[in-house]
Amino acid sequence: MLKLHNLTRVYQTDDVETLALNNVNIEIKKGEFVAIMGPSGCGKSTLLNTIGMLDSPTEGQYIFAGEHVEGYSEKQLSEIRKKNIGFIFQNFNLIDELTVHENIEMALIYHKIPAAERKARVEKVMDKVGIAHRAKHMPSQLSGGQQQRVAVARAVVGDQALILADEPTGNLDSAHGQEVMEMLQSLNDEGTTIIMVTHSPAHADYARRTINLFDGHVVTEDVRAA
Amino acid sequence: MFRNYLITAWRNIIKNGIFSIINIFGLAIGLMSCILIMLFVQNETGFDTWLKDNDRIARMHTSYSIPGQEPFSTVRSAGSMMEAIRDYAKNEIDSGVRFIQWGTTVRQNGNAFSETISMVDGNFFDIFDLPFLHGSKESSFKKPMDLVITEDQAIKYFGKTDVVGETLTFCCFEGREIPLPITGVVKKLPDATHLGINMIVYLQPALFGENDGTLHTWTSLNVYTYFKMNPGISLEQLQERVTYWMDNESPLVDMLKDILGDTANDKSVSDLVQQRVMLVPDLHLHAKKHAGNMGDLTPMGDDNMINTFIVVAGLVLLIACINFMNLSTAKASKRAREVAMRKVLGASRTQVAIQFLGEAIALVMLSLLFALVAVEIALPFYNDVLGTNLKLNLFNDLNLLFSLVGIAVAVGIGAGLYPALYLSRFLPGHILKSSKGAESSSSTKLRTVLVVFQFSTSIVLVIATLVVYGQTVFSNSMDVGYQSDNKMVLNIDSAGDNLESLKLELLKLPEVNAVSFSSESPTQDWENNNNFKLLESIEEGVANQALLFNIHNMGYGFFEDYGVKPIAGRLFDEDYGSDKIVRIEEGNEDKVGRASAILNVTALKKFGFKNAEQAVGKTLETNTAGGIHHLTIVGVIPDIYFRSIKYGVRASVYTFSPGRFRVANISFSSNDIPSLITKVERVWKNSVPMQPINLQFLSEMMTAQYSDEMTMAQLFLVFSGLAIIIACLGLYGLSAFTVERRTKEIGIRKVMGADIIDIVRLLIWQFSKPVVIANLIAWPIAAYMMLTWLEAFPYRINAIWLIPICLGVGLLSLIIAWTTVGGNAARVARKNPINALKYE
Repeated sequence: MLKLHNLTRVYQTDDVETLALNNVNIEIKKGEFVAIMGPSGCGKSTLLNTIGMLDSPTEGQYIFAGEHVEGYSEKQLSEIRKKNIGFIFQNFNLIDELTVHENIEMALIYHKIPAAERKARVEKVMDKVGIAHRAKHMPSQLSGGQQQRVAVARAVVGDQALILADEPTGNLDSAHGQEVMEMLQSLNDEGTTIIMVTHSPAHADYARRTINLFDGHVVTEDVRAA
Repeated sequence: MFRNYLITAWRNIIKNGIFSIINIFGLAIGLMSCILIMLFVQNETGFDTWLKDNDRIARMHTSYSIPGQEPFSTVRSAGSMMEAIRDYAKNEIDSGVRFIQWGTTVRQNGNAFSETISMVDGNFFDIFDLPFLHGSKESSFKKPMDLVITEDQAIKYFGKTDVVGETLTFCCFEGREIPLPITGVVKKLPDATHLGINMIVYLQPALFGENDGTLHTWTSLNVYTYFKMNPGISLEQLQERVTYWMDNESPLVDMLKDILGDTANDKSVSDLVQQRVMLVPDLHLHAKKHAGNMGDLTPMGDDNMINTFIVVAGLVLLIACINFMNLSTAKASKRAREVAMRKVLGASRTQVAIQFLGEAIALVMLSLLFALVAVEIALPFYNDVLGTNLKLNLFNDLNLLFSLVGIAVAVGIGAGLYPALYLSRFLPGHILKSSKGAESSSSTKLRTVLVVFQFSTSIVLVIATLVVYGQTVFSNSMDVGYQSDNKMVLNIDSAGDNLESLKLELLKLPEVNAVSFSSESPTQDWENNNNFKLLESIEEGVANQALLFNIHNMGYGFFEDYGVKPIAGRLFDEDYGSDKIVRIEEGNEDKVGRASAILNVTALKKFGFKNAEQAVGKTLETNTAGGIHHLTIVGVIPDIYFRSIKYGVRASVYTFSPGRFRVANISFSSNDIPSLITKVERVWKNSVPMQPINLQFLSEMMTAQYSDEMTMAQLFLVFSGLAIIIACLGLYGLSAFTVERRTKEIGIRKVMGADIIDIVRLLIWQFSKPVVIANLIAWPIAAYMMLTWLEAFPYRINAIWLIPICLGVGLLSLIIAWTTVGGNAARVARKNPINALKYE
């Protein structure tokens, strides 16, 4: 599905150069569930953002679905991202002014999908994540777990093949965290590729493969038998 | 604590950068507009308040409203009134004085200057206590023909002020030059006075005959009459007494019966002739109400213009205040933590509110400083446009200083109160616990409402400006009915018997094509009126009844020179030899004079003629030039606009009475204007020695007719432009703020696949909505206001023009809003969304 080759990302501030990713080589196949772990500041989020095309590598190659995307313009990246990648954030990042339904629908609006179809798809995905009864509520009226389920629904409503989750359980208590992980698990079972950054070893266990990062390097890769 | 507030305030001003600049700049522009307008208003409303006892001096105005005649009003009154009323109303009136304004020529060292001297009754200085520089009111005004001049006149003629004992030679009283000794010099009058006088002569009644139409008359309105009331008497009491005298004791009681016959039976005199009094300080702005468009000693002010300007100043300031309110509440969430911490540390709500209010006032004071600098820079231009001499003398004028500080404090409170109350309401527990901002949806709504208000107001102002401008341009470009190109108007008041030679000499100049004489040129109108009676009866016409008409006197060639063609009959023509009105000599009063008359179309209708041909050959009877004349209507011309078209056209009769000629109309063809002027001046000097020349270009006179409207339109343009700028600054600030606040949302949308264009569209639409709503509110208001305003003009731009104006302004407001917001939107839309989403 995607391949990173000798990927390097350097952050440049006024007079400090930070090496966030250093010669990273990763290949992720379709249908995998990969967890990325590592201490704070090791480059997990940078890696995830780079994979999500929200950040560009300084050096190296990034091959997504057979295409070299490292030189692509923002517009081209946005097109690929829109069609293929869904995001889930630790802090949910729902829009406070929109209802649950509208939040999920927003992803489809930018896919230029007609209104009737949008409605059907949003309802279907709300059923799937179990928040259909909350469709007209505002995010502030929901619990954290419910909010994250809305975010998951939003991430997959456009039939994205790849889900990038940045500590999706970080703001949730264990029961709600478990709930979200099970939902990701079932998405993966249906064929969605998932890459997840997490601090929790228990939640990393849901993944088939765990990539450990330290100071921008891939330190180890643990693969569990299915 | 105060120091702490001050530090916080200052750091906030610095930290908020662009928002502080918008606030200070907006308020400074608002205050500048306000101060400029205030200076003008203060000047206009402060006329004659410097006069001693100004609350006891009143002038008497006259209005005629006689059935069947055009109503007529003037600031002057009849010469016999003053003494009669003064002697009757002893209880109310202390004394009275008349002015006779007399145009004359002063000769000095071989030069001639046109001057207007004021002949006044001997007690003038008892009523108008003007300060003497040399001489005194006792010593300088003892006997008839004593001359007191103002300081500036003394310098003009003698180069010094101490000129008591010097002599000025005037020309001419009864055909003779008269040297008058100067007996006193008074200080130059302030600009803010309706008294346009600078040469004051003790009136010699003997100069005027018994039936001169000036001093000894009850009906000819040629003198200015002032009364000084006794202490404690109100203007209403004086008015009541004057009206009572008019109705019961005045000679007019019998005279009107004689003139009007039965029509006067059930009417009192004051139904037909009003003598209205007005206090001197009110004259500049309000005499217009009593006297219509007739002139005064100095140009009259315009009450409506003053009020409009006050409203405009208020609105501009209000728009600036709204910016402040909007930006302060919008930024409130940024300061929520500060408020919360202050409260946690023991501050009460009042203390917090006072802190914020103080900050607002400090900011306004800072703006005031900038505004004062701006006023100083703008004043010369402003004075130029208004034709005034306004100055900003803050330290000499404590009133002004205090009122400015007062305004600043009021603006600070007005703009700062809501933000202060809003900010001080925050509950510390709530704020500190949640990481959310303190933004409530009600404050967002209020901001939208205020933005709508700002834009509605600005849009109304701009539409009003465009309509005023359009009407002015329309007035200027309207077909006035005559050819106005290449015409000069030469005043011939002082030419005496030299008219024919003057004409011949002028015609010798190669550039001069034609010269014709008339009582007035286009754009001039001395409001001469006379009664005319149509002698033949016509179907549905008004025969055998005296009707009041505007009267002009024109010589041969006048209409031809101005390209006016008769629609029936002919123009005055020397070949007929019968057109001229010949004065009826004394002793021959029973003779009837015969001459010709020309009507305009409006007069044709007033008499009730069906068409122009029907009128030709009919006879009008009128009393002029020493007795009754029968005038044969020889022609009819289209309506031509002698005055500004804002007054419409009046029913006019044109006659040919050479004794009434006051101007020569010179048609020329030359591009070398300066040399032409020199040549005309040389001809004048040779033909009319020792008289100053008064030469004007018709095109300039026509422009001057509309200069008031032009001034108003220009000022409107400037102030409504400022209003729009301030409103846009506010919109810019708000959009910057919104963009800041919605960064997270925009980030999410981008991650979801939104393009830059989607984001820009989203934001622009958010800010377009209030502007669209503002337009929908502003259009009907502006349309109603301007249609009402236009009603005052007999000829006005078509109301349909309001539609493109409204739509155009609407589009413009949207474009301005889009460009204002677009930059901010594009900037944030281009940002990498991950920066917005990473940190909470």
